[in-house]
Amino acid sequence: MLEIKDLHVCVEEDPSEEILKGVNLTINKGEIHAIMGPNGSGKSTLSKVVAGHEAYEVTQGDILYNGESILELEADERAHLGIFLAFQYPVEVPGVTNKNLLRQAYNTIAEEQGREELDPLQFEDHAREQLELVDMKEEFLERSVNAGFSGGEKKRNEIFQMAVLQPKLAFLDETDSGLDIDALKIVANGINELSGEDNATVLVTHYQRILDYVQPDHVHVMIDGKIAKSGDKDLAIKLEEEGYDWLSKDASVL
Amino acid sequence: MGKVKQQKERTFLQDLLNFQGSLNGKSKFLDEVRLKGAEEVRNISFPTKKLEDWKFISLRDLYKDSYELASDLDLEVPDISEHYLPESKGARLTFVNGSFSAEHSSTEDIPEEVLIGNIAKLAEEDNELLKKHLNKYVENNFEKDVFSSFNKAFLKDGVFVYVPEGLTVDVPLHLLFVQTDADTNYFTTSRSVVVADKESEVTIVEDHIGLADNKYFNLPVVEINAEEESYVKHTKIQRDSREAIHIARTAAFVHHHANYESYTITRGAKLSRNEPRISQRDEEVEFTVDGLVLIDGDQVSDTHSVMDHRFSHCESHQLHKCVINGNAHSVFNGKIFVRKDAQKIDSFQENRNLLLSRKGLVNTKPQLEIFADDVVCTHGATVGQLEQDELFYLMSRGLNEQQAREMLIYAFALETIENITVDSVQDLLVDEVHQFTENQLDSKLTA
Repeated sequence: MLEIKDLHVCVEEDPSEEILKGVNLTINKGEIHAIMGPNGSGKSTLSKVVAGHEAYEVTQGDILYNGESILELEADERAHLGIFLAFQYPVEVPGVTNKNLLRQAYNTIAEEQGREELDPLQFEDHAREQLELVDMKEEFLERSVNAGFSGGEKKRNEIFQMAVLQPKLAFLDETDSGLDIDALKIVANGINELSGEDNATVLVTHYQRILDYVQPDHVHVMIDGKIAKSGDKDLAIKLEEEGYDWLSKDASVL
Repeated sequence: MGKVKQQKERTFLQDLLNFQGSLNGKSKFLDEVRLKGAEEVRNISFPTKKLEDWKFISLRDLYKDSYELASDLDLEVPDISEHYLPESKGARLTFVNGSFSAEHSSTEDIPEEVLIGNIAKLAEEDNELLKKHLNKYVENNFEKDVFSSFNKAFLKDGVFVYVPEGLTVDVPLHLLFVQTDADTNYFTTSRSVVVADKESEVTIVEDHIGLADNKYFNLPVVEINAEEESYVKHTKIQRDSREAIHIARTAAFVHHHANYESYTITRGAKLSRNEPRISQRDEEVEFTVDGLVLIDGDQVSDTHSVMDHRFSHCESHQLHKCVINGNAHSVFNGKIFVRKDAQKIDSFQENRNLLLSRKGLVNTKPQLEIFADDVVCTHGATVGQLEQDELFYLMSRGLNEQQAREMLIYAFALETIENITVDSVQDLLVDEVHQFTENQLDSKLTA
């Protein structure tokens, strides 16, 4: 589904500083991946680059989605293909209700994918069903997007948006950080419910904590702009116990 | 240079005096008002950049041409019914090029206890209420102001509304000022006087629309008197022609326990200057002077406001938001006065600017003069742009750039318009934001 090949990325404003230094990653349908790593290792950058953030420039390598390069596509065009990013810091949009944003988003994506668009009533039914998943009340639909939301509500809203938009490939950027245990369980449950044979999920995280509730098929460790090690969930446990230092040493040897 | 400028000003004044003669005759009261206005104009010079209050904008565009009085021109009036507010179907006074149009007006939904009518007509009838209130507020709040005197010198048609004690007017009063196309530059002055007596309530929508792209000079003066325990809501929408010059004065008196809410939306005119001046007349009052400015191209919009706290216990609120694109230039100067002994004042002022282009310009100047010691006055000014992360967020949800920008501009603007209680005005503003964003994207693509 997604093939990242020797990806080198710098910030558009400062081409001299490479953030990603040759990332290789393959994600197949039906898989859950976790990307872990210390602060500043490039995990968040990787998810933003896949979603099409304009502040980053790909200097080398490619990102293939279903076999085709998406590097030239704008963020909205990538969303139309079914790529979704749950933000680490979701943006507040006062005055635009969750319902209106998501209906516009849903129908734009549906149109691009040749699926049927939903009228306001149909959409409301669809959205209501997804609310249960994140344990949100109906009034959540009428609230302005993230405006005045608590940190936990913002993260749950990202999962809710993912549920409504039904992406094929979702990157969840630190969706687990800043959550208390109850909210974490809700978010994890949402991710599990939404994971299926036809889609893939990538958890980008600092902590092993969420992996107690979501079982990843693959765990990758990113250090200094590269995938330093890949393995199964035992790798996450080892990281929890030993930290990243042992890998940093390995990475420098590489 | 100095000589040339003087000559231009003389031409302008000369025009004024010529027209002056043709106006007189039907009401002795108005004749005297006009003569007084003309006399004042003769004794005050027109402002130039040298004056502190006018230093950010140039009035050269106003002074360089001469104008004819709009009502002297025989101008064609197209169908304007699309501009009627549905809520005010039977509560509308319309002025076309400054002249009252009975054909386009209707007052059938307004309670008959309310006195509402054309100033010229009421003056002919020697109406005592009109004589009592006309000019009282503007003369107090605007001293030695050549533009309000100019308006006075040409005072003829205009709105007079008197809401008697204890009455709530449920329908919003639509004061519609339409400017039509013309081959000649013209000027038009309008006057609106709204008096809400004790414990009454009224909503007015002051609506200036230019139907074409012609140049004209629009000089409206609005006087508001909110008596004890009254509630006056005033929305002003300025959609004058993109070549027009709009210089406006609003003078409000707010009495004991009264509340005056004013929302001004500036979208049109090449050069606009809006000057609301609110005067607190007794203890315990509330007022709001919010504004939204949406300008692009080479538009210049200047808001100079005065919130004059003269007695104790006043809550005042001013949120002024500007969205600036292209080469547009926005000026904000918000004066807050707190007089000696006016204690327990709670005043809020904020000017937020969203700058969408590199060439746009913002001048912002909060100005607080406080002579009492037990007051809370907060003020702030910011200039920002659309954040890349915000656009990215919405686009990553599948919205295209136009949709994403529109949503963010709307979100920015909303706070200043969400308290407007007339639904169709809200819808209108959503459309205006939509059009503004569309233009913005067009200019971005061609740039």
